[in-house]
Amino acid sequence: MYGYAGRLLEVDLSRNRISIRELAPEFARKHIGGIGFNAAVLYEELPAGIDPLSEDNMLVFGVGTMVGTPFPTAARTEVSAKSPMTGQFGTSNSGAFFGTQLKGSGFDALIIKGKAERPVYIYVDNGKAEILDASFLWGKDAWEAIDLLKSKHYGVEVALIGQAGENLVRFASIENGYYDGWGRTGLGAVMGSKRLKAVAVRGTQATKPYDVKGLLEISKECQELIKSSPFYIPFTKYGTMNAAVPYGRFGAMGTYNFSRGPLPDWEERAGRQVVEKYSSRHVACQSCIIACGHWVEVKEGKYSGLKIKDLEITPVASFGANLGLNMDAVIKATELCQRFGIDLVSAGSVIAFAVELLKKGIISREDIGYDLDWGDDEAVFQLLQDIVEKKGIGKILAEGTKRAADHFKGADKYAVHIKGLEIPMIDPRGRWSTWTLGMLTNIRGGDHLRCRNPIENLRYNENKHGYLKERFGFTEKAYDQLDMPADLKARAIDLENDTVDIAVMSRWAEDLINLFNSMGICIRPPVMHKIGPTVLARAYTVLTGMEITAEELMRAAERIWNLMKLFNIREGEEPGEIKFPRRFYEEKAGGEKLDEEKIQNVLEKYYEVRGWEMNTGKPKRETLERLGIYP
Amino acid sequence: MSVKVLFIDYRKCVGCATCEMICSLVNEGVCTPSLSRIRVVRNEKNNYSVPITCAFCDKPPCAGVCPVTAIVKNRETGAVEVRNDLCIGCRQCVQACPFGHMSFDVSKGVAFKCDLCGGDPECVKFCWTKAIQFIPLDMALDSKRRTVAERFLEESGVI
Repeated sequence: MYGYAGRLLEVDLSRNRISIRELAPEFARKHIGGIGFNAAVLYEELPAGIDPLSEDNMLVFGVGTMVGTPFPTAARTEVSAKSPMTGQFGTSNSGAFFGTQLKGSGFDALIIKGKAERPVYIYVDNGKAEILDASFLWGKDAWEAIDLLKSKHYGVEVALIGQAGENLVRFASIENGYYDGWGRTGLGAVMGSKRLKAVAVRGTQATKPYDVKGLLEISKECQELIKSSPFYIPFTKYGTMNAAVPYGRFGAMGTYNFSRGPLPDWEERAGRQVVEKYSSRHVACQSCIIACGHWVEVKEGKYSGLKIKDLEITPVASFGANLGLNMDAVIKATELCQRFGIDLVSAGSVIAFAVELLKKGIISREDIGYDLDWGDDEAVFQLLQDIVEKKGIGKILAEGTKRAADHFKGADKYAVHIKGLEIPMIDPRGRWSTWTLGMLTNIRGGDHLRCRNPIENLRYNENKHGYLKERFGFTEKAYDQLDMPADLKARAIDLENDTVDIAVMSRWAEDLINLFNSMGICIRPPVMHKIGPTVLARAYTVLTGMEITAEELMRAAERIWNLMKLFNIREGEEPGEIKFPRRFYEEKAGGEKLDEEKIQNVLEKYYEVRGWEMNTGKPKRETLERLGIYP
Repeated sequence: MSVKVLFIDYRKCVGCATCEMICSLVNEGVCTPSLSRIRVVRNEKNNYSVPITCAFCDKPPCAGVCPVTAIVKNRETGAVEVRNDLCIGCRQCVQACPFGHMSFDVSKGVAFKCDLCGGDPECVKFCWTKAIQFIPLDMALDSKRRTVAERFLEESGVI
């Protein structure tokens, strides 16, 4: 089989059994790879209603199709399971070098079932897998455990949990090497519940493309396409930190548990100049031509000497804005979260929730055991450790904001999450757009990474079009260059009025990101902007030898999205859950109170565009038939 | 005319390793670092990435130890080339190479190394950071001297 490794590795920890599944070409073509494989496997094989932290859950690592090639940014692997946070489809995406090794080891995916009797790790070396004793790793933080595994097994890449995952903190992450991770939806807790400390992988097998010259040419063409995006140079220099100041200006940077507008000195705290202050080098994932990662060094103060890959907007928003820590402390927070193996979005958010509860008198100093305030890094880190160790109030907070809110009368008003997953930076009260609607329609809950206008404008923030539209703000040339079917593009973007139809664009953006997460390429803006399904269809064809069209690829992406939606519905997702946190409708913070009715209106338009029932959001039968899904 | 060399600026490499994927694709028709002529030495913990390739020695130790004269210096392109049809797979060249560049293909039983893609190296075309360049030797040296000079001036506070 060209392009794919052609096999899926299955490890059953309860039965101590390793087996191999052949990848059927029809399955591959229907689900592409990465998130597509994960969704298909979990929808097909995971019974409804299981406890996500029991041996019944399954954890799937799906390597993107283009991984193991020079195609720009082809580095990404999706990990999925039933989420202990939302009780629905849990999924997270990460780059670096793990996927390249897993595919190089001869597998397009790793499926983990059951639960080991005692702590174990999985060692995969060029097509062979073993379940090994992890007693020497258990209790170690992620960095220590990687050091130990790398000294034991030459040349491995490691996916693993820290203490948070071992202790079943619901929002524990799986770390991907030292500085990357599958952060969201609590997949580290799933791994911990299986008593699986790590997956160490080494592979030197080759990806065999169908058309060598074609792959070489399309890789070059796509390098040039990405470089031609106006977002390219800013992203090579500042990475995701480009968005910190604009989102602050829009009043859309969630601050102090989303209770207020941005900090008055936000631009000094988080402007591009901080990248230059802390960093002099960039770090790339496999085959990436952006290298948005910054190698950061704290040179003075109490965290002096700390070196880490950081200054990415997520920790800066979560600990810098939402908790008010200074930048030295944000970098320290990133280190702690990576070592503990905990989602830094949910961790920052749940601690911000605790600070506000304390300020509002809903919990007391005695409940916590020490003083705690915005900007107090030492107390914040103490509470983070208490959460990881489930000590004192940390035990309650380790359950996540939604569950913790049930413990304290009146706390619900301050609980910031969607479907049980805490929300990262973007606050829809400050900016309403395709991106913010996408938090609501996101399969995995309160999160901003599964829907974004491929050509989003950061210069304007005009909401004059109400909830249905956002400003387009680009030229006709930019419109012409956007890779979208002409009729759909005309419906999504109205050039004359300079508007984008949010419902139409959301569906396109979700499917496009789903396609990226299937093919294993990165959603950074210069890539999203320039790499569309037409060029990806050619890339898929030269790699696999399977002729595919842009339409068929987008239909596969839509199929995958619908499978995940059906998974959620099967797990009891209610239309009423698709809702922003209460305070977004009741308080202004940095913008305007949200209008529930108007949002419902956009949602219904979105459902219509998706071919889902308007009132319930369930996929219609004809939609599923069109996608070849027969539940 | 000055001879062209593969000139690597170690400070520019960000570790994307696109060069490895390209090299194996061009030379072997498959993608894997293990069959790439150029290799990126990466330390993820301390974050450094250093591409290692052939130094194109004028008196190549690999050629010197080859018992069957399968390795020759191409005076026209400057490349050092392995002749697969002659190679007996003894790996003496792998031992002799001072840089760890000379590699060995276990499945074919022959040594392999960079041959500058016959005079137009593909890795260079894909190296977007310009960490790998194929430029005349004098230009490479000038560029290096300039960087050193600027560092001196910077350190002494002149610029």
